[in-house]
Amino acid sequence: MTVVPFERMQELVGRKLPGGSFELEHYRNWLTNDVLGSPQRHDDLAHPMFCYYAALGGMGLSIADLFELAHSSAEDGPMFGECDMEVHLPLRTGTTYAVRGEITDVKRKRGGAIGTFDLLTFRLEVVAPGGEVAGACTNSFIFPRQA
Amino acid sequence: MSGGAARDRSAAVGDELPERIIESVSAEKMKTMAALLGDPNSIHWDTDALRRLGLGERPVNQGPNNMGYVADMLADWAGGPENLRRLKVRFAGNVFAGDRLVAGGRVTAVRTSPEGQLVDCDVWLTRDGAETVLNGTATVLLAG
Repeated sequence: MTVVPFERMQELVGRKLPGGSFELEHYRNWLTNDVLGSPQRHDDLAHPMFCYYAALGGMGLSIADLFELAHSSAEDGPMFGECDMEVHLPLRTGTTYAVRGEITDVKRKRGGAIGTFDLLTFRLEVVAPGGEVAGACTNSFIFPRQA
Repeated sequence: MSGGAARDRSAAVGDELPERIIESVSAEKMKTMAALLGDPNSIHWDTDALRRLGLGERPVNQGPNNMGYVADMLADWAGGPENLRRLKVRFAGNVFAGDRLVAGGRVTAVRTSPEGQLVDCDVWLTRDGAETVLNGTATVLLAG
């Protein structure tokens, strides 16, 4: 587990993520429905979790990159803390969405079995081809730290 | 469990949402999701890694999968995925392959909008109807 001065984490607040795009292909929706045990549909309405999958998939960083940005790695045992998903427009297969986002907050806390940890929050917007914000996801990850 | 609220397109504070039950979380489907998400965390698919980490023998389900079960419970009740407007959750515990899960919810507020009723709910996911592994709040539209 990495020793990370909190000042290095605070520098991340306000950092824009690279952003990019997410193509919501039919096969992704089919497999997601299969994983979750959701009914397969015969129209182009995607599973509502694609607000999250599109946001993370198009943010311009892999999950491993995100961990590295937070001075951590999968070996440190980072955990998903919270997710706030707002859906403004139904997401549809066959559509490519733009994604933009930034790191909005970092807190250092201590508690529970993991001891000292950093809570990093970032917000991502999923933008439809017409420019409307179809959805947004505010996510937090927990990064265990050495005290 | 009361299942009639969405069918008659109205809801009242205190209504319980129809439960969604996942009889046994599948380790194989975790592998599919790891590939779909590009998730490098081996606790979802590598039992050797799990043993090395002292996490036992059963792979750990992806958090978004647990959230997805709750999203499906809400979409079923509200008449379709297009009616889920907000889902905010806190991940409170790990879910392992083979676990039996129950997704549930209760109506906490009902508001009117031009589209229909906007219904706020408390939501949860429990292991065997007991230990809470996820909880949060949601808003769905019950179209008039």
